[in-house]
Amino acid sequence: MLVDDVPHRRVHRWTHLRQHLAGYGFLSPWLLGFFVLTLGPAASSLYLSLTDYGLMSAPRWVGADNYMQIATSDPRFRAAMNVTFTYVLLSVPLKLVFALAVAILLNRGLRGLNWFRAIFYLPSLIGGSVAIAVLWRQVFAGDGILNQVLMALFSYEGPSWIANPSTSIYTLIALAVWQFGSSMIIFLAGLRQIPQDMYEAASIDGAGRSRQFFKITLPLLTPVIFFNAVILTIDAFKAFTPAFVISDGTGGPIDSTLFYTLYLYQEAFTNFRFGYASALAWVLVAIIAAFTALSFLSAKYWVHYDD
Amino acid sequence: MTSLALTGIKKSYGAIDIIHGVDLAIEPGEFVVFVGPSGCGKSTLLRMIAGLEPITGGELRIAGARMNEVSAAERGIAMVFQSYALYPHMSVYKNMSFGLETARMPKAEIDLRVRKAAEILQITKLLDRKPKQLSGGQRQRVAIGRAIVRDPQVFLFDEPLSNLDAELRVQTRVEIAKLHADIGATMIYVTHDQVEAMTLADRIVVLNGGRIEQAGTPLEIYNTPANRFVAGFIGSPKMNFLNVSVDGRAGEAVTLDLAGTKLAVRGIDARPEGLCLGVRPEHLDVGSDRGTPLGAMIATHVEQLGGQTIVYGSLKDRQPIVATLNGQKSVRAGEELRLTADLAQCHVFDAGGRRVAVQSA
Amino acid sequence: MTETTVDATGSSPLLRAFAYAAVLAVSFVMLYPLLWMVSSSFKPENEIFSTTSLIPETFTTDAYRRGWNGLSVSFGWMFLNSTVIALLAVVGNLVSCSMAAYAFTRLQFKGRSFWFALMLGTMMLPQHAVLIPQYLMFLNFGWVNTILPLVVPKFLAIDAFFIFLMIQFFRGIPRDLDEAAVMDGAGPLRIFFKIILPLSTPVLATAAVFSFIWTWDDFFAPLIYLNDIEKYTAQLGLRTFVDATAQSDWGALLAMSTLTILPIFILFVVFQRLLIEGIATTGMKR
Repeated sequence: MLVDDVPHRRVHRWTHLRQHLAGYGFLSPWLLGFFVLTLGPAASSLYLSLTDYGLMSAPRWVGADNYMQIATSDPRFRAAMNVTFTYVLLSVPLKLVFALAVAILLNRGLRGLNWFRAIFYLPSLIGGSVAIAVLWRQVFAGDGILNQVLMALFSYEGPSWIANPSTSIYTLIALAVWQFGSSMIIFLAGLRQIPQDMYEAASIDGAGRSRQFFKITLPLLTPVIFFNAVILTIDAFKAFTPAFVISDGTGGPIDSTLFYTLYLYQEAFTNFRFGYASALAWVLVAIIAAFTALSFLSAKYWVHYDD
Repeated sequence: MTSLALTGIKKSYGAIDIIHGVDLAIEPGEFVVFVGPSGCGKSTLLRMIAGLEPITGGELRIAGARMNEVSAAERGIAMVFQSYALYPHMSVYKNMSFGLETARMPKAEIDLRVRKAAEILQITKLLDRKPKQLSGGQRQRVAIGRAIVRDPQVFLFDEPLSNLDAELRVQTRVEIAKLHADIGATMIYVTHDQVEAMTLADRIVVLNGGRIEQAGTPLEIYNTPANRFVAGFIGSPKMNFLNVSVDGRAGEAVTLDLAGTKLAVRGIDARPEGLCLGVRPEHLDVGSDRGTPLGAMIATHVEQLGGQTIVYGSLKDRQPIVATLNGQKSVRAGEELRLTADLAQCHVFDAGGRRVAVQSA
Repeated sequence: MTETTVDATGSSPLLRAFAYAAVLAVSFVMLYPLLWMVSSSFKPENEIFSTTSLIPETFTTDAYRRGWNGLSVSFGWMFLNSTVIALLAVVGNLVSCSMAAYAFTRLQFKGRSFWFALMLGTMMLPQHAVLIPQYLMFLNFGWVNTILPLVVPKFLAIDAFFIFLMIQFFRGIPRDLDEAAVMDGAGPLRIFFKIILPLSTPVLATAAVFSFIWTWDDFFAPLIYLNDIEKYTAQLGLRTFVDATAQSDWGALLAMSTLTILPIFILFVVFQRLLIEGIATTGMKR
């Protein structure tokens, strides 16, 4: 017995090994990508952020200088933060409110739900393309359609919304809100998860419409709202194309549409300050991480989870 | 030669032991049913035999060869899953031929086998259909067909009838028994349904908590349950377990006290505390002259099943008791009934739950 | 019956009419710019800004002709570039992400949960953190100004979203099927190709359509990596066209804008259901 036990154990080990090999075989593209495209570059950009590095020179160690400069003496960083936070703090809540309101309207059992759902979703699907940015530039231009409509309806001669530094950011916020469709679809899916008998029970208990909304719909929807808010916030911090196209890549007029990512792009690929741009990138990562962490911390107090 | 031998088979997930060392030898052509409550380890045991779960300890031999490290497909077994696990995107034919194609069997041979199995199961007309287009019973046949084509030494069934409705279940049960008679292969069948176990098995293996409680023919299990667990698990309604105390002892003979009624038995020697008397409801009789008197029962509730009358009630000392009477008996709640039973059909279990062989004295 | 919504509270006809009016109004406002764009692209130049009407008085495809050849390289060429890149991205994503999702859901191997956690982590990490070293690496490889930096990462499952999407789907395929296949002698490869993939066509289609659309729409990566106009994607071409025309030829610009959206619009019309379900079940971006 002992004698023929040995080869068996070998067989045993081989079948186990095959399992692991198969696992790593199937995972290998991702693994390679993880090391070469994510982990390696992340480590390297962390290092670069502590150097002075341009196209022509080798990286020169400067310690925390880049971060110091960002924090203390970079007016364009401050402008970019200003623009980005305005954009995030206005576009995300507006988008959420719009998406939720329309989802609730649609959930009323309107005929043609699928049609409306599709119509509202379309802008989300194409909203990131250059064509839409081009269109937006036209809509809000001095002689654009918005002003034409205002002229026709109210005889009001509007300014060029794009060229005016005090309004240009709002055209981009409008563009973001225009793309509320995907959030709306997630809300619709969430609304359908709420069991119908809960409303029936509530109306038997004498709860009216608004009470049902605030006591049933809204609390049960908080996980979806939370999820949408986090995703939208992260996406809003990363917005790039519309600002780039609308301002011809400058972030103008007078840095009024200088999104953080646009500033990062300019530093990296126009000024070729790779070290400084890397530092900017990690500051953005930190901001997004902080925002996400805060959201998750706050979730305890307002998000309702089933036990 | 044994068809399948388990020696000290163990299974643990980390520190948790699921199967505690199972020894079992199965003869060629035997129909063995693993039965037990959910979580008893019967499915895990089957899956270890199948090769779907690694064996932690002990040895599995099929036709004499050690199988612990052999892959599932090379063990010469086939399995019918509870969910049938038919490949939804393949036709019935493809479902049955998939394993043979994997083994690179010649096309002509595959075709022969599939058509033969289809004929046995009368599903020839369904060969081009997809599983979606089949009824539950037909899917069941395809699942069995997929096992047959591989011509295995051992068939494994994992609760194969639990997804069928009651009528079809009975019908399929009969067909499985017939299939076993026809092809004569060794079959291991897992179920939690004691009727399936009793009707199908050459031998029943009752499992509980990862251990074999008893293995034996259906009637052995029914007539001489090894312990209180087996006695309670097989049989419906459940066996009555009545507390008795030892009243006196005269040599071999012992007098038991059941709620004031004296019973004289022989065969009990040690540890007379914590004894209990097991009587199946169907072995109780009311108002009969034959058998040993067991005292009076106050009826509290009566169920008329037509062919049988089930009476629920209690003894004088308030111990609950159930009696199944043949035919339609007019018993009213509150009525006092005189119980009798043949002591040969009664069992005494000691404090540890083990059955003690007793004879009437 | 496709509409399964049930009115929870039994709204009155008046409220219902109000809801209807509101939804209709919102959809009109939302669609108006798009419709205006399409209709203006068929108007003669002088008509574009003289009327807000959506129906061209004079219908002409002149703007398309002007736009198509408005740059030194024809738009047709750039559409071809975009198509090649997007199709390669689709193939790359499907192959690499389905493999990873299969490993994560179906194969037992050491370190699986560790890698799984890291994979989820990469979904959180903004691409900006790795952008510059990636660029420098591709520059070193001599890949800048080729489509390789746009395509090769897709073959390395860089879009963890698709892995996640497929994991969700694979988890819904009963494990019994794998086990039945194991009993039938199939190894991991055969199970993957013969069982899992054939049963996953819905999720593969969803991932393919999203891949195509997102790659087609992508502006940032082509902007960084492609320099020569012959290599431009449609998006880059359009943005160059904005500069080149200096907004003097709005008709041509709107015509080309319409064309770059057209493929997405067609995919949207054909695969609307898949896309909306994909969004609803995973809550994916966009």
